[in-house]
Amino acid sequence: MSELKPTNRKAELLLKAAAEGPIDEVVAMDTVAGCATTFDPGWEIDAFGGVASLCQPMEADLYGCSDPCWWPAQVPDTMNTYPNWSDGKPSAQNDWRELDAVFPKK
Amino acid sequence: MSIGAPRLPWMSASLLALLCFAANAVQAAEAPDGQALVRTYCSGCHLEHDGVFERISSIRKTPEGWTMTLFRMHNVHGLALPEEASDAITRYLADTQGLAPSETAPSRFALERRPNAKDLDLGPDLAQMCGRCHSLARVALQRRDADDWLKHMHFHVGQFPSLEYQASGRDRPWWDIATKELPPKLGALFPLHTQAWSDWNGRTHREPTGHWVVVGHEPGGRDLVGTADIASDGKGGYTARYRLRDTAGRDVAGDSHALLYTGYEWRGRGALGGVASREVFALSEDGVRMSGRWFDPEHSEDGGDWTAVRADAPAQVVAVLPRAMKAGASGTVTIVATGVGPASSVSLGTGVTAKVVLADDGVIQAVAEVAADATTGTRTVSVGPAAGTGAFAVYRKIDQVDVQPSYAIARVGGGKVPPVTAQFEALASARDAAGVLVPLGPVPAEWSTAPFDAEAARTHDEKFGGSLDAAGRYHPAGAGPNPVREFSGNNTANLKVHARVADGASRLDGESHLIVTVQRWITTPIY
Repeated sequence: MSELKPTNRKAELLLKAAAEGPIDEVVAMDTVAGCATTFDPGWEIDAFGGVASLCQPMEADLYGCSDPCWWPAQVPDTMNTYPNWSDGKPSAQNDWRELDAVFPKK
Repeated sequence: MSIGAPRLPWMSASLLALLCFAANAVQAAEAPDGQALVRTYCSGCHLEHDGVFERISSIRKTPEGWTMTLFRMHNVHGLALPEEASDAITRYLADTQGLAPSETAPSRFALERRPNAKDLDLGPDLAQMCGRCHSLARVALQRRDADDWLKHMHFHVGQFPSLEYQASGRDRPWWDIATKELPPKLGALFPLHTQAWSDWNGRTHREPTGHWVVVGHEPGGRDLVGTADIASDGKGGYTARYRLRDTAGRDVAGDSHALLYTGYEWRGRGALGGVASREVFALSEDGVRMSGRWFDPEHSEDGGDWTAVRADAPAQVVAVLPRAMKAGASGTVTIVATGVGPASSVSLGTGVTAKVVLADDGVIQAVAEVAADATTGTRTVSVGPAAGTGAFAVYRKIDQVDVQPSYAIARVGGGKVPPVTAQFEALASARDAAGVLVPLGPVPAEWSTAPFDAEAARTHDEKFGGSLDAAGRYHPAGAGPNPVREFSGNNTANLKVHARVADGASRLDGESHLIVTVQRWITTPIY
């Protein structure tokens, strides 16, 4: 690591965290029920308990989450469960307003 | 998971489901009872052997759990299930393969959709395996034996195969853990056959029909008191009429139509004060108390706590509002009680004089005056024969303010997904002579936010995240990329929430942590 220099803020944060100790990828946290506790990089919060190291904007990689079923309880997976979720919405950054929740409202 | 590990044959199952459900759907209208409907719609895949259906008969779930299962059968396997049949199957399965009251008790927060509820602690192995995606309450609200928990693991890797290379999949022998260690553990923790269920399922349960006294509390909002009248609708459901008022005296009428699942799970739909409401209540095992939460169907975070007690229950104090008064203060106190006559006398305990000014159908109003030298502590309240130990408190000064929830999530919204607000409440406490904290209930506060840390200050989270109103509700900003933020980031934020409470000339502060984060699109009844 001493040969590598961080070139952006997230890399600086990771270097700082690495110096302080190992980063748990999954933390048995005092969590809000229903929030993901996988932090690669995290859906609701990041590995540091904040939001600064989440994918931002989320829409830039949203279909990179839904296609491989990365957040199966938060984001509809188009791999198996909701294959048509993003049909007709080719750009998450432009079409996010048209993306709907998947469980029927009764 | 190793490459050769078994996978659920879901593709072939869904194809088969499509074929046989289409053929069977015609018979549905002539199949009135639950088991016949299961046979009609489910047995094409879940084969029946002497009245036992593969998989289905090996599981017990809540009404919400069965609803989610049926939705998945429709969504993933193409089951064409009319709404009436779906409702009837849900009811049949929840009634005959449900959970006993004691089995749902630790996880009711999930059924009641309580915002910012702390999840169950089932240990690190289940937190990693199950809780990393969804709540552990979702697990604890199901009952299976080890062999079916194993099938449940197979289902997960078939349906969500990329879990193998997620964190906690790629970095440990998770398939061994999932298939060898956890099914026996889950089967022991949440087994299919329990004494609690045998006892509950074998009992006759008391109907909810009758006259009830009611108290409700909306965090950050109103306290409601009044009555409910519940009657049978003659078709297996119930109608409820509410005559409530807030503690300022404003009428709040409401009604509901409900089904009672499993002998105690009240699920109602109606309106309260002109606002649509959903009700998730549970009858006590003896059928004399109903408690839970009501909420706005479009905003489940927006709702309140509900307690109802049969008006003919043994005399008792159900609630006292406000929950506390300061030494030297005077004002109106509202008491909700059962077994109380119209001219009942009232006592609010040592150092407090009280006189009944109105007694109407379980709701008693009294004018109270607290002596200037009254000591801090709880009081036993009595109204006629009804008594409530510690139902009221007197204090000399507020010693502590806690903001609840201490950690909260709000979500940006827009387009087809509404925002999720976060409601905070300032709860005051005072120390008695022994130094013990006496809860005083919610108090008005002046609300403000601050960046949680230096990074939140640098990215101006306070400016972009949203706003906190005077009642302590945080309204998140709009969703979508924000071109004026760094990297066009979303309006996420990491904030401290401050409450400043005035107590005479003193000011006391409380603090909470708020995360404003992105939306979720999977809005199942159990997260």
